[in-house]
Formats: sequence, structure tokens, C-alpha cells
Amino acid sequence: MRDYEVVYIFKSALTSEEIEERLGRHHEKLLAGADSEITAVEHWGKRQLAYPIDRNDNGYYVVAQFTSEPDALPEFERALKLDDQLLRHLVVLSEGELPAPPSHREDQTAEEETGRKSNGPEDTATEKGEEE
Amino acid sequence: MAYRKICRFCERSIRRIDYKDEPALGRFLTDRGKILPRRATGTCARHQRQLGTAIKRARYLALIPYIQGHHS
Repeated sequence: MRDYEVVYIFKSALTSEEIEERLGRHHEKLLAGADSEITAVEHWGKRQLAYPIDRNDNGYYVVAQFTSEPDALPEFERALKLDDQLLRHLVVLSEGELPAPPSHREDQTAEEETGRKSNGPEDTATEKGEEE
Repeated sequence: MAYRKICRFCERSIRRIDYKDEPALGRFLTDRGKILPRRATGTCARHQRQLGTAIKRARYLALIPYIQGHHS
């Protein structure tokens, strides 16, 4: 089980129903897995792209976080690639914070346990060579 | 950019640099959109590595341009 974050950029010409319908369809694929779960969905809405993608100057951004087994991802991403209304998508390991709109965060995460946590599989227990 | 001894991320005890936080990333780019070196920004090694990844992700998502001021 891993926490992931996915960013979708839809064509901005889509209506909100069409976007919801597509999101539902993609997420349904994910939820088919054992105890996969969508933990957060954040709509950034229409935003100007920093450079045109396939002659589109705007895109509709949606950020979602989910928990899933890694084996579910290839199929999920394959479906995303086939969606011709989706300009871009990015799936990354989640950094554990809620997806905030692209403005600024004022609160820093204060309490946390040490060091390099979300960097990789924690169960491998490599000693990092030398002593700390 | 003025020389700074203190890493801006360590200063605010940021653990993971967010690729979605486009305004914050802009400070570490030249006016052409290139990544500024550590010696110019004072970022520590660990955060500079994270920053590189974050900037590249943000570029892919068209949050920041690959090349500023380029119009094909």
C-alpha cells in the first residue's frame, strides 16, 4: 500500500460534468483494487498553461490523492494515456500533505519524526553504510 | 540574487519541496527559467536535489515554463 498523488490537466473546453464523469471513470479503475481509496480530490480549475500543449493555452487542473497497491498503477496510467481529453497527467508518491491550490502555504509542518521517511521502501532496512 | 548562507528550506524546516507551489519555485529560477545554482541561492545540497525534481515536475505540468519568453 502506497500513498500517491495524481495531477490531471484536462482540456479547458470540457464542461464540469464531463470532467467529473472522466474523473469518476478513472478513479473507478483504481478503486477496483483491494482496499484502494481516494483520500482527496482538489479542483484547481481553469488555469493558463506556462506553454501551449497541443495548441491549448489553458487547462483544467485536478489534483487527487489516493492509496493503492503499486500493481494497480500501470493499468490506471494506461487508461489515462488513452483519454484524449486529458492533456497531461502526473502520478507521484504522495508527500503526505493535502493538495493545496497553487498559492502559498503559511503553516510549516512542525512535528514529524526524523529524516528521510517517504523516500523509499522503509522495510528494506539498509543501514546507509556508515554510522550517523 | 544576493548571496545567502542559510538554506531557505532548512530555515522554514520544509521536509519535501512541493512541485505544485509554483510561486515559491520561481525564486530559484533565472529570468529565463533556468535553475539557479546553489552558490547563487544558498540552498543546501539535500534541498537543491529536491528542488531540481520539483522544478522539473512543475515544468512538465506547465506550471512554469521550460524556457521563459519562448514563443514558437
